[in-house]
Amino acid sequence: MPESEIELRDVRKVYYKDRIDIPVLEGLNLSVPAGEFAVLMGPSGSGKSTLLHLIGGLDSPTSGSIRVADSNLEQMNERELTAWRSRNVGFIFQMYHLVPVLTAAQNVELPLLLFRMPSSERRKRVATALGVVGLGDRMDHRPNQLSGGQEQRVAIARAIVTDPRMILADEPTGDLDAKTSEEILNLLNTLNTEFGKTILMVTHDPRAASHGQRLLHLDKGVLERDERTPARAPAAVS
Amino acid sequence: MPLRVVYLYRNLTRNLSRTLLTCCAVALPMTIYVLSMAVIKGIDRFLDNSAKQLRLVVGHKTSIINPLPRGHRAKIEALDPTHQRIMSICGVRWIGGTVQNEPHPLSTLAVEPDTFAQTFSDYYLTTEEMADWQRNRQAIIVGRATAQRFHWNVGDRIQINPSVPPYTPFEFKVISTAPKAIDPITNICRLDYLEELTKQAVTIVPEDWKLQGWVSFFFVKCGSQADVDHFRVAIDALFAHSPDETRTQDEKTFINEFIKQQFDLPRNLMILASLTVFVAIMAAANTMSMNLRDRMNETAILKSLGFSGRVIFGLIQTEGLALCLSGGLVGALTPYVLFTYSPLRNFTVPLIQTLEIQPIVCVQAMGIALVIGMLASAWPAWVGLRLPVISALRNLE
Ligand SMILES: Nc1ncnc2c1ncn2[C@@H]1O[C@H](COP(=O)(O)OP(=O)(O)OP(=O)(O)O)[C@@H](O)[C@H]1O
Ligand SMILES: [Mg+2]
Repeated sequence: MPESEIELRDVRKVYYKDRIDIPVLEGLNLSVPAGEFAVLMGPSGSGKSTLLHLIGGLDSPTSGSIRVADSNLEQMNERELTAWRSRNVGFIFQMYHLVPVLTAAQNVELPLLLFRMPSSERRKRVATALGVVGLGDRMDHRPNQLSGGQEQRVAIARAIVTDPRMILADEPTGDLDAKTSEEILNLLNTLNTEFGKTILMVTHDPRAASHGQRLLHLDKGVLERDERTPARAPAAVS
Repeated sequence: MPLRVVYLYRNLTRNLSRTLLTCCAVALPMTIYVLSMAVIKGIDRFLDNSAKQLRLVVGHKTSIINPLPRGHRAKIEALDPTHQRIMSICGVRWIGGTVQNEPHPLSTLAVEPDTFAQTFSDYYLTTEEMADWQRNRQAIIVGRATAQRFHWNVGDRIQINPSVPPYTPFEFKVISTAPKAIDPITNICRLDYLEELTKQAVTIVPEDWKLQGWVSFFFVKCGSQADVDHFRVAIDALFAHSPDETRTQDEKTFINEFIKQQFDLPRNLMILASLTVFVAIMAAANTMSMNLRDRMNETAILKSLGFSGRVIFGLIQTEGLALCLSGGLVGALTPYVLFTYSPLRNFTVPLIQTLEIQPIVCVQAMGIALVIGMLASAWPAWVGLRLPVISALRNLE
C-alpha cells in the first residue's frame, strides 16, 4: 500500500482565548494518499481552515501527529516549517491575495525568490506556470487589470510555480460566479490528473465538491462522513 | 531587473508622497550636518593658522571691552631686549563700522601701522602694498569678501561710518584686498588716522572715555612656541598689581574662547544637527510602520508562501535603508553641489573663508542616514518577523 501523502493521527487543536479553552479539532484521524483530490466540507466554524493550516504547517496541533510529504510537522520548529512549506505546499485562498503593485508574472515569481536558480530558469518556470493556468498572454498585467477569475488563476500559478507536491485550497471559488468557478475547478482537476498534485480543497459549494474524488465532512471537530464521490462525467457540466 | 529590486522599488513608490516627505525629513538633518561640519572644519582651519602664527593676545584682565594703554607696548618690548624672542607687537582697536545705507555691520580694526605687517605676516602684503600702507594715513586693507560685496577695488576711495566715537564718516583709500589673508571679512586701517580724526571731531572729551592712547588688544608675535609659552605668563606677571592688569592667551585659545562667548557656533550646530537627526528617525520610523500596517496582509501571504521571518525582516530593513539612504544622498549632495559648483561657493562666513564641503563629510552623512534607516525600520521589521501568519490570514477572511 502506497504511503499516504497526508497522515493525521489523533490530532487535537484547542485555542485558548479569554481563559477559556476552545476545542476546534478533537482527536482527528485522516489519511490522504498521494495524487488524491479530496474535498473538505462542513458548517462554518467547524474547523476546516484550521485543519488546512495544520496540514500546511502554518499552525501546530495541540497534540497528535501530522505527517505530510514525508515530514513529521509536529516535530519541526517554525523555521524548518517555513522552509518545508516553500518546497512542498502551494496555498490558494478565497481572496487571491496578490501583491497589487506587481505584475502577474512578478507575483508568480515571488515564491522563487526563496530558491537559488538562474534567471533563465526563473523566467521559464513563471511562463510555464502562467501557461498552465491559461494566462500566458497576461504576464504584464497588474492585478487590478485582471478579472477575479484571472486573479485566482495567477494565485494558482503562484502556488504551483515551485512545483509543490500538494495544493491546499481554502474556498478557492468562494468569491467567483458559477461559470468562472467551474473553470477554476477544471484547472484544479488538470493539476491533479496531469501533474499529479495532491489536492485538499475546502468548499461550501456542493457543485464544487463534485470535482473531487473524495468528500470529507467535518462537524464539531470530528470527521463525520468520508465518502467517494461518483466519477464525474464531463457531461455533468451544464 | 531582479524581482527583489522591483519589489523594493514598487514598495517605495506605492505611496509616493509619503516616501518623498520622509526623504525630505531625512535629507534636512544631513544638509544641516554637512553644513555644520563645513563651518566647524573652517573654524578649525582658522584656528590652526592662528596656532602657526605664534602670536599672543594681550587684553584687559577684567573684560575684553576694557582698553589697555598703548604704553604697555614698550613695557612688553622691554621684556626681550634681544628682539629675538618677541619679534613685534601691534596694538589693535575695534571700530566695527557700517557703510552708508547698509545695515549690515562691518568688521574693521584700527592697528598700529608701524608693526602691523610684521606682526600679521599671514596677510602676505607685497612690498608695494607695504609702502602704500606706510605712506598713506588713509590706507585701508579691506577683506576680499567685503571688497567683493561692496565692489571696492584697490585704489578706490571709500567711506565707512565707525561704530565708535566720533561716529562721523571716515574717508579711506583701499590699498589691498588681502587675497591671501585667512580672514576674508575684516578690514584693517591705521590707528593714528583714527586718533587724529577723533581729536579733530571730539573737542571736549572726558578722560575716562579713553579715546586717545588706548587699544583693545596687543598682538605679540613670538619667535618660537617656547617663547609663546614663556611670555604668556611673563606679560601678565609684569602688569600684576598695576591699574591695568592683563590677561594673555595664545591666539588660538583667544579666538576659540571668543567664539564660545559670542555664539558657540560649533556646539550649537551639533545640537541642532542631533535634534534634526532625532526627528528624522521618528519620521522614518513612522513611515515604515505605516508601510508595514498597510501591507500586513501581504506580509502574511509572503509568510504562507514560505518567506521566513528573517527574509521578511530583511525586506523591511532594506526598504527602510533604501528610503533613508536616498534621503541622505539628496541631503548630502545638495550642499556639496551648491557650495562646490554654483555661485554659492563664494559665500563667506565670519572667520571662515568659504564653506568648503569635503566629500568625506558627505560620506559620513550617508553613514548617519544608514543608521537612521536601521533604527527607523528596526521595530517594523521586528513586528514583521514575529507576525503570526495564522491570525493575520484570519484577519483577511
Ligand atoms: N486564534 C483563535 N482563537 C480562538 N478561536 C479561534 C482562533 N482561530 C479560530 N478559532 C475558532 O476555531 C473555530 C474554527 O475556525 P475555522 O476558521 O477553522 O472554521 P472554518 O470551518 O474554516 O469556518 P468557515 O467556513 O467560516 O471558514 C471557530 O469557532 C473559530 O472561532
Ligand atoms: Mg475557513
